[in-house]
Formats: sequence, structure tokens, C-alpha cells
Amino acid sequence: MNFLSNNIYYIGCFGLIFIGLYIVLTKKNLIKVIIGINFIDTGVNLFLITIGYIRGGTAPIFSRPGLNPERMVDPIPQALVLTTIVIGVSVLALALSLAIRLYHHYGTLNLRKIRELKW
Amino acid sequence: MILITILLIAFGGAFVTYLAGKISGKLRNILAVLVSLALVVLISLIYRREISREYYTLPFLNLKLILMSNPLSWFFAIIIAGIGLLSILYSLEYMKDKERLDYYYFTLLFINASMLGTVISGDLLSFFIFWEIMSWSTYLLISYKGGKAIAAGLKYIIMSIIGSLAMLLVIISLYSRYGTMEISAIASYMQTASIGYTLFILITSSLSFVIINAFWPLHTWLPDAHAEAVSPFSSVLSAVLVRKGIYGLYLFMYVILGLNILNKLHVGFISFSSVLCGIGAVTIVFAAFTALVQEDSKRILAWSTVGQGGYMLLGIVFATASGMTGGMFHVLNHCIYIALLFFVAGAIEHRTGGIRNINELGGLIKRMPVTFIAALVGISGLIGIPLTNGFVSKWLIYKTLILGNHPFLAFAAFVGTWGTVLYGYKFIHNIFLGQLPEKYKHIKEAPLLMQLPMILLTVTVILFGVLPGIPLRVISAIQRQVALPPLQTTLFGIPKEAGELNMINVLFAILISCFIVWLLFRRAAKSVPVQQDDSYAAGSYVPKEKYHYTVNFYNPLSKMITPYLRDVASLFYLNIARGTQRVCNIIRRVYVGEVGYYAMYIVLFLAFLIFIQMFF
Amino acid sequence: MLSPVLLIAIPLGFSFLAPLLKKGAKYIPPIAMLFNLILSILLVPQVMRKPIIVLLGGGWPPPFCINLVASPLGILLALLISLVGFLVSIYAIAYIKEGATEKYHTLYLLLLTGATGIVLTGDIFNLFVFFEILCISSYALVAYNGDKHGLESAVKYLIQGSIGSSFILIGIALLYGLFGTLNMADIANNISYHSLQSPTLYVALAFFITGFGVEGAIFPLNAWLPDAHSSAPSTISAILSGIAIKTGVYAIARVTYTLFSAKGFMIFIATIGIITLLIGEMSALGQKKDIKRMLAYSSIGQIGLIIFAFGIATYYGIFGALFQLVNHALAKSLLFLASGYMIYRVGSKELSAFEGLGKKMPLSSLVFTIGAFSLIGLPPFAGFMSKISIISAGIKANNTALFVFVIIVLFATIIEGCYFFRVVQNLYFKKSRDPAHNCVRDGCPTTQKSEMPISALIPIIILALLIVAIGIYPRLVTGIIESAAIGLMDKVGYIHQILGIF
Repeated sequence: MNFLSNNIYYIGCFGLIFIGLYIVLTKKNLIKVIIGINFIDTGVNLFLITIGYIRGGTAPIFSRPGLNPERMVDPIPQALVLTTIVIGVSVLALALSLAIRLYHHYGTLNLRKIRELKW
Repeated sequence: MILITILLIAFGGAFVTYLAGKISGKLRNILAVLVSLALVVLISLIYRREISREYYTLPFLNLKLILMSNPLSWFFAIIIAGIGLLSILYSLEYMKDKERLDYYYFTLLFINASMLGTVISGDLLSFFIFWEIMSWSTYLLISYKGGKAIAAGLKYIIMSIIGSLAMLLVIISLYSRYGTMEISAIASYMQTASIGYTLFILITSSLSFVIINAFWPLHTWLPDAHAEAVSPFSSVLSAVLVRKGIYGLYLFMYVILGLNILNKLHVGFISFSSVLCGIGAVTIVFAAFTALVQEDSKRILAWSTVGQGGYMLLGIVFATASGMTGGMFHVLNHCIYIALLFFVAGAIEHRTGGIRNINELGGLIKRMPVTFIAALVGISGLIGIPLTNGFVSKWLIYKTLILGNHPFLAFAAFVGTWGTVLYGYKFIHNIFLGQLPEKYKHIKEAPLLMQLPMILLTVTVILFGVLPGIPLRVISAIQRQVALPPLQTTLFGIPKEAGELNMINVLFAILISCFIVWLLFRRAAKSVPVQQDDSYAAGSYVPKEKYHYTVNFYNPLSKMITPYLRDVASLFYLNIARGTQRVCNIIRRVYVGEVGYYAMYIVLFLAFLIFIQMFF
Repeated sequence: MLSPVLLIAIPLGFSFLAPLLKKGAKYIPPIAMLFNLILSILLVPQVMRKPIIVLLGGGWPPPFCINLVASPLGILLALLISLVGFLVSIYAIAYIKEGATEKYHTLYLLLLTGATGIVLTGDIFNLFVFFEILCISSYALVAYNGDKHGLESAVKYLIQGSIGSSFILIGIALLYGLFGTLNMADIANNISYHSLQSPTLYVALAFFITGFGVEGAIFPLNAWLPDAHSSAPSTISAILSGIAIKTGVYAIARVTYTLFSAKGFMIFIATIGIITLLIGEMSALGQKKDIKRMLAYSSIGQIGLIIFAFGIATYYGIFGALFQLVNHALAKSLLFLASGYMIYRVGSKELSAFEGLGKKMPLSSLVFTIGAFSLIGLPPFAGFMSKISIISAGIKANNTALFVFVIIVLFATIIEGCYFFRVVQNLYFKKSRDPAHNCVRDGCPTTQKSEMPISALIPIIILALLIVAIGIYPRLVTGIIESAAIGLMDKVGYIHQILGIF
């Protein structure tokens, strides 16, 4: 129980990543696969945040005297996550636009049917 | 300096010739002849000069590339340059109305240049570089004609790549062990190498030479390539290029390793030399009888090229004075008469409009007498009739085999010669003797420019047959270079103490017997030529082609031996190729086209990596 | 003021200039890349003496700011990127005619920005960002033609690529969690200083190799490559093959050598390389129809060779790998560019459609042959020099496994010879079967020459000349490659240069 509560964030984010991977591996609908990728992205972002997070920590700003730097939450992962969110959004947008165009050509989003390129 | 000049002229001349061809065809032809003439002159200049000179450095491998000249390289260089010049001369007329001539001359000169490069390179890396250049440029010219030649070219280049990669493995391994590629330095290092390593070097490197020299069972590229290439180039191929294999074997066996080490390489009575002897013997017999059943003039010659290689091998593996001399001399002799014979085949092809099937020819002696004499002399040389050069070298080889107590090898060599006699006669008879087919009634003699190289070579065959001392002197210099016992020679042959052979005596003997025969024929009844049209056919008209009795020459013999001549090696390689192709087709099925699988590959790979790292 | 920052800033700035100039957009990439080319050539002598380190963001000393490291390795690759990028963009002036051309040029410059950034940066997260810039622009560019194959391959590429980049990010997060720093030199310092053997580190390495391996096309992560290369426009295939996958390989080398210095792990890298090589070459031999797909498989094989050479883990191995990397970039972009117009002229990607093309497009066929010979490793072309460097490195390493691998490399060379000579014979020796079949576009009469436009011909001729020049005079490039290889081997030096400068 203690293990669970100590590592709840890690479990949560890797749970998200595994769910995403599961979707990508098994689902045949392209939209679902894209959602799965987004799951992975979110999980990774959460993982980054978790690494810098200190439970009960303070904001990394010396807003008032007497703040202990040891208790400050690391700001760098948050900055990184901002960047990765932007990247994730652009990948998502690109993927969806490609999916729309692909649907025009194939008339389906079933990835098992969209396999003219092989071997 | 002169060696660099030779290389520059050879390679630069090829490019200049190509560019000249864009301006005018005449200029290109003149340039091509001039370049090859210049090479002959330059190479004659370095006779008996021992040069060794760095010309290039590769800093990242810490290597210096060296050019050198010594009797061995001079011997091969002059052959290359000479045959190169003659084939260019011959091409002027032969190739006249073919397409892509710039390309043709460029590649031919380029091949000659790279072959020169291989023999004058003083380190293994430059040897390999020129060797590879030779391989691909040869491919470009074998396939030149298109059609069947495409498959022949592909076969050649794949086998050649296999061979040269084996050689690459050897030279890189030598380099990483000794840090140098200079032939003389490696030769001194190799004196102390272990037996296993020496064997590895020797076997792997001889793979490439066995391929290029087309010894059984790696001969399969040769008949196709030689038959399908254009005739002037076929003569270059089988006179010079193929004999690079002998050069390489000699280089590795005697220059790099030396006789002392070679003698150590044996288990019981199986030694490296005896394996090579076996290969040589099989090659001789198999090729001679395969040549016998061929119907295509160039294919006969191609198979004869394979077979004669066996004699050279039998000569040079026995490092006795007479064996080595015989082997090397046979390289030269074979090169002269096979070039001559390919020129003959080419001349006939040229005049008959591309006919190579000898069954469709006949009686051309009246229409093409010069070509006939060339063919007669060439075939005599091939068989080894006295007064032609082939006699002397074969005599030396037989002598080695018999005196060295090798009855089986000697028997194989004799059997091979019987085969040679048979197909040589078939070649002459089916083309020149017999009935002249109606459609060739008005055929003309080969053009003068094509006659010229043929006449030159014919004269040389006789000259070296009567005065074998001229080339033998060069060959004994080669042997002295690697501290092998040289054969004593006189201008007319071999002096008494070395086992007498005096061609002048033979010449007189033959002249006298010819005179007697001539007298006898004068006295005997004359034969009257009868037109076959007049023969009786029970009143019915028989088409003239039916009379052509050269079809199915040696029919009973062919029927008897054909079942034994199935080219198992060729089939085997074909199956390997098909199998590889099939495996490759299966391999690429991993790219199934479904993205879920691809994602799975990624995840599995990750899991695999983590697993590996955890446990190792 | 010559600063390596400009190498990134200029393509980035110019890329957004392209959509503004509707008509003239196609001249933007050549200008930007020419500038980059000149700049990186000018930087070479300076960098050879001492790496230039540029601090971005506040000018704090490392490890607290993002820094660019213009080491010989970085500049070598930047030079390669700008050279290939420049030549391909000239080719694209005539080749890219249909569709939203200004967007193509924007994305193209963004791709090159990403590639240059990857090789110059000294910060691992920054590496990731540049990686994403490269990947996203290449997803879009693969789909540029807008046909169904392009879209399909782009979607597949995107799915695999984004899984890969997520893995990279996880790796970065793990490292950050351990050391609290993103500076590569600092991470390297920490790893070697603590000589840490924690499993987290191994997991991070596995994530990095998998993530970069997707872009670097190691087997079995390279399934996107044949699809994307064969259905993208030829210019993009050239860039992907010549540059994009090289950056992946660079990243793997950087991570394994500088970050982790995982010496014991190198034999696995070599094994992976050999498997990639074999699978790639054999698939290429099996692919008898689609020429671009064949070339793509051949790229996989060559990447395998490069990774194998990195896996030898000696100075000579790295030297051979970098040399081969340069030569392959030149030769493969040459092949894709040459085949681009050939495909355009015959209207088909089928190998049999190329029969007899040697007469109609003599120069393109000639340069194609030169590129192919260079890839097989025939002298006197550039590929020969790098191939013997790799083989001699493998044998010099004096390791039985590596010796066996070298023999496999030789075997793969035979296969390579088989399929490239198959193309060469189609070009030169076969007669074109059906004259009507051979010319569908531009209404060219069948017997006439239909060489590609001059602006497309110039870059591929330059590439061919470079290949021949390097083959005959390898010292043209070996100097900088040698110092790059030393730089990659010298981990301590790298750490000192960056962390110890202040």
C-alpha cells in the first residue's frame, strides 16, 4: 500500500503509456491509433513532471522570505513539458489532417486495409 | 617516373579517346591506335629495368602505394600492351559500323590500362584497386552487345566480385597483421608466418585467381562471356585478362610465399600443389571434350581457353626449371594463338554477317585464304605441332610431368591434347574445308586492317616456334627473380645438358619430310574435284544444304561423351542463385505493411535491449 | 562574425520567408543552404584547431544553459547537410512544380534546420526538439505528393516516429531524474564520475537506442523507411536517405560514445548493425520491381554497415563509419536524384521501365552508375575507400566475432553488386522493349534524348564529381573525418572542453 501511494504518479504515467502502446499495437482504426499516440505523449509528459515534483513542495520562486530551496519544485521539467506539449499538438494535428486525406483516398480508416505499401 | 607515365598515358588516353570521339570518329580511331602504340613503346623501354617507386600515399590507412617493374611484370605488361594494340587495330575495321564506338574504345583502352596497372603495382592495395577496376570495366564491355551478353556479363561480374572480395579479405588481413602492403615487405614477413595462416592466405587468395583464370569448377562464367563479347575483345579477354589468374597465383605462390614455404604445406601426400594439379588436370580434360561438342566457333575457342589454362597450371605448380618455364611460356604462346584464333572467328563473323555456328559454314578456304592460313597456324599452335610455339611449351610441360613421375597428370595432359586435336580439326574443317554454301559464294577476304594483326600473330607463332630462345630468355629472368632455378636456353631451344630441344634440327627434319611427301604426292594419281550437285539421288532433286556433310561432326563420339559433360558446377551455382533469390524474397516479408506490427517490432526491440543489458 | 549559431538561424529564418514570396519561394532554400555551406567551410579551419562552444540563453556557463558545440564532428556533419541540402534544393527548383510549392520549401528548410541543430547541439533536450522539428517536417514532406501511397507511408512513418520520440523523451526524463541536468557533457561527466551501474541507466540507454533507432533505421525499427523513401518525392527521398537517417545514426553514436561510453555494449551495436545490413541488402535483392524501394532497402543496408563500423569501437572503426556516412550520403542522394527524373520521364518506378534509358538520358545514367559503383565499393570511387577502412578496422580489432561480421559484410557486398549491376544492365545493355511505354510525359519523341533539365543535372553531376574526387583523392575529406573520429572517441576531452572552459 505504501509502495502504491509513494509511486502513484509513476504508476499513473506508465499506465498511460502502456495503455497508449496497447492501443497502437492492437487497434485497427487510424483515429484510435492516433489517440493512442496521444496517450503515450500525455503519459510521458506526466512522467517528466513527476520527476521534478516534490510532494508538498513550493513554487520555485522566492516570493517570500524563508523559503527553503530544498523544498522547491524543479521548474525545468515544467518548461520541458510545455515544449513537448506543443510538439505533441503539432504531431496530432498533422496526423489528423493526414488521416482525413487518407480517408479520401482509401475510403476507410482501417489500418489493415491501408496496406498497399509492403515488402 | 616512366611507370607513372605509362599509367597516365593508359588511363588518360582512354578518356581523351572518348572525348575525341565526340568530335570525330577518325580522330578517335587515330588516338586509340596512338595510345596503345605508345604503351607498347614505353613498355619496351623498361625491359630489364628494375624500378620501384612510390606514387601515392593514403594517410588514413598509413599506406604508400608503389609501382614497380621487374621481369615478371614486364613479361605480362608487354603481352597486355601488344595484344591491346593488335585488338585496337583489328577493331578499326571490325567495329566500323557498330554503335556506341566511343564507349567501346574507351572501355577497351580502360581495361588495358587497368590490366597494366595490376601487373606493375608493387603493393597489394594498388594491385587490388586495379584488379577491381579491371573487373567492372570488363563487365561493361562483355555486356556491350546486349542480348545474350547481358546474362553473360552479370554472371562474370558476380563471380568476379566474389573472387575479388576474397582477395580483399586476404590483403586487409595481411595489412592489419603487418601494417604494410608492399609485396617485398610482406614476402619477408610471410617467411615466419604460421602454417595455418599461410594456408588461409593462399587458399583465399587463390579463390579469386581460380575464378578469373576459369579453372574447373569455377569456370562457368568464361564460355558465355568469351562467346558473347565482341571478337576483338574476346581475344583480349582470353589472351590476357584470363591469365591474370596465373599472374596472381605466381605472385602469391612464388613471390610472396616462396618455394620453401610451399613445400611445407602438405598433409601426407595431399599438398596445396597437388590440389592445384588435380584442378588443372580436370580442367584440361573436361574443357577439351566440352569444346569438342560445341557448334559455336567462339564457344569452341572459349572452352579451349579454359582447357589450356590447365596446362599452364600444371606447368607452374611444379617449381622445376622446365615446369615453370613451360607454364610461363605457355601463357605467352596461348595468348598469341588464341588471340589469333579469335581474330579468325571474328573475321568470319564479320564477313558472313554474324554467323558463329560452324555447321552453317564450310569451304571458305577458297574465299578467305589468308584467314585460313592464320587459322591453320593458330590451331597448330593450339595443338602443339612442332614449329609452332605451342609445341615448345607443351613439350616442356610434358617433360616435367613425365620426369617428375606424375603418370596421371601426364595422361590427363595427353588426353586433353587428343581432345584439342579433335576440336581443332573440327574448327578448321567445318569452317574452311568441305562444301562452300551457296550464300557464301561471293564472300570476300577479311579487310586489310583485320588481316594485319592476324598476319603479325601468325608470324609470331612460327617465329617463337622456331626460335623459342627469344621469349625463354625473358622467362628465365622471371625465375631468377624469385630464386627458382632458371632453365638454360639457346636461341633455338634448350641445350643438351638441360634436356635437348633444338628447333632448327626439327625445322630441317620437317622441311625434308615435307619435301618427300610433296614428291610422293606429285607421283601419285591426282584427285579430281567433283561438284556435289552431280551426285545421284534416285532421280529426285535433293536440296543443296542436305549435302553439307560437316553437320554433326564426330557424332558417335559426341553421343558417347555428352552425358558425362553435364556442367554440374554451373547448375549448382544456378541453384544457389535461385535459392538466394528465394530467401531474399522471404526476408523482405518482415515488412508486412501493417503498422501495428511495426509498432510491435519497436516495443519488442526495446524489451530485447533492456533484457540484454540487464543480463550482460 | 562567424558563429555556428548562424548555421541554425539562417535556414530557420529563411524558411518562414518562403511562404511570403509566392513565386520566388523556390530560390530561398538554395540561397540559405549556399550561405550555410560557405559558412561551414569557413568554420572548418577554426574548428579543427579548437571546438567553438556557443552559449545560448542567458550566457550562463554550462551546464546551466543550452550550448552549441561546433566540434569537428558537428561541423563535418553540418557541412555534409548543407552540401547535400544545397544540391538537392537546386534540383528541386525544376523538379518540384506541382502542389503548394512554397510550403514544400518552408518544410524543406525546417527539416534542414532540425538536422543541423541535431549535430551541433550540446544539450540533450535541445537534441530532442531539433529531432522533432526534423521528424514533423519529414512526415509532412513524405506526404507532399498527396497521392495515396505518400499519405499511407506518411501516416505509418508518423506513428512509428512518434513512438520513437516518446521513447527518447522517456530516456531523457530518466537521465534528468538521475542527474538533474540536461547538458550532455555534464551527464557524461556524471555517469563516468559516479561510474554508476544502476539499472535505470541501462533502461535509459535502451530507450535512447530504440528511440533514435527509429529515425536511424536500424532493424527492426526501420519499417517506415522503404515506404517513405519510395513514395516521397525524389528530392525528399534523397534528403531522408542522405541526411535524416544519418542524424539518427549520429545521435546513437553520440549517446553510446559520449553519454554512456558503453564499451561492453558495443558488440551488440555491431551485431545489430550486421543484422540490419543483411536484412537491408537481401530485401533489396528481393525487390525487383520498384527501383526506389530497392534503393531504400539498400539505404537500410548501408546504415547497417555504418552502425556496424561504429560498433567496432576503435578509432579506425569510427573513422570508417564516418567516412562511409559521408560517402553514402553523397552516393545515395545522387542515386535518388538521378532516378527521380528517370522515373518522371518513363512514368513508372518499375525497374524494367528503365531498359535502354542509357541512350535517352546518357548523363543521368552515367551518374547513376557512378553512384551505384560507389555504393558497391568499387574503386576508384569514394565508397571503396570507406569500405576498406571499415573492413580493415574490423580485422584489426582482432576479435573473432568481428572477423565473422567482416565476412558477412563482404557477403553483403556481393548481394549489393547483384542488384546494382541489375539496374546498370537495364540502363545500358537492354534495348527498350516498347518505345511507346518509355515516354509518357512531356511528349518526347521516343528516339530523341530526353535528358533532365540543366538545373537538375548540375547538382547530380557535382555529386558524381565529388564521389570520383574523394575516391581518387581521399585526403579531400579524411583530414576532418580523422579529427571528428578522434573527437568522438575522446570523451574526457569533450567534457573538459564544455565544462572546463570557464
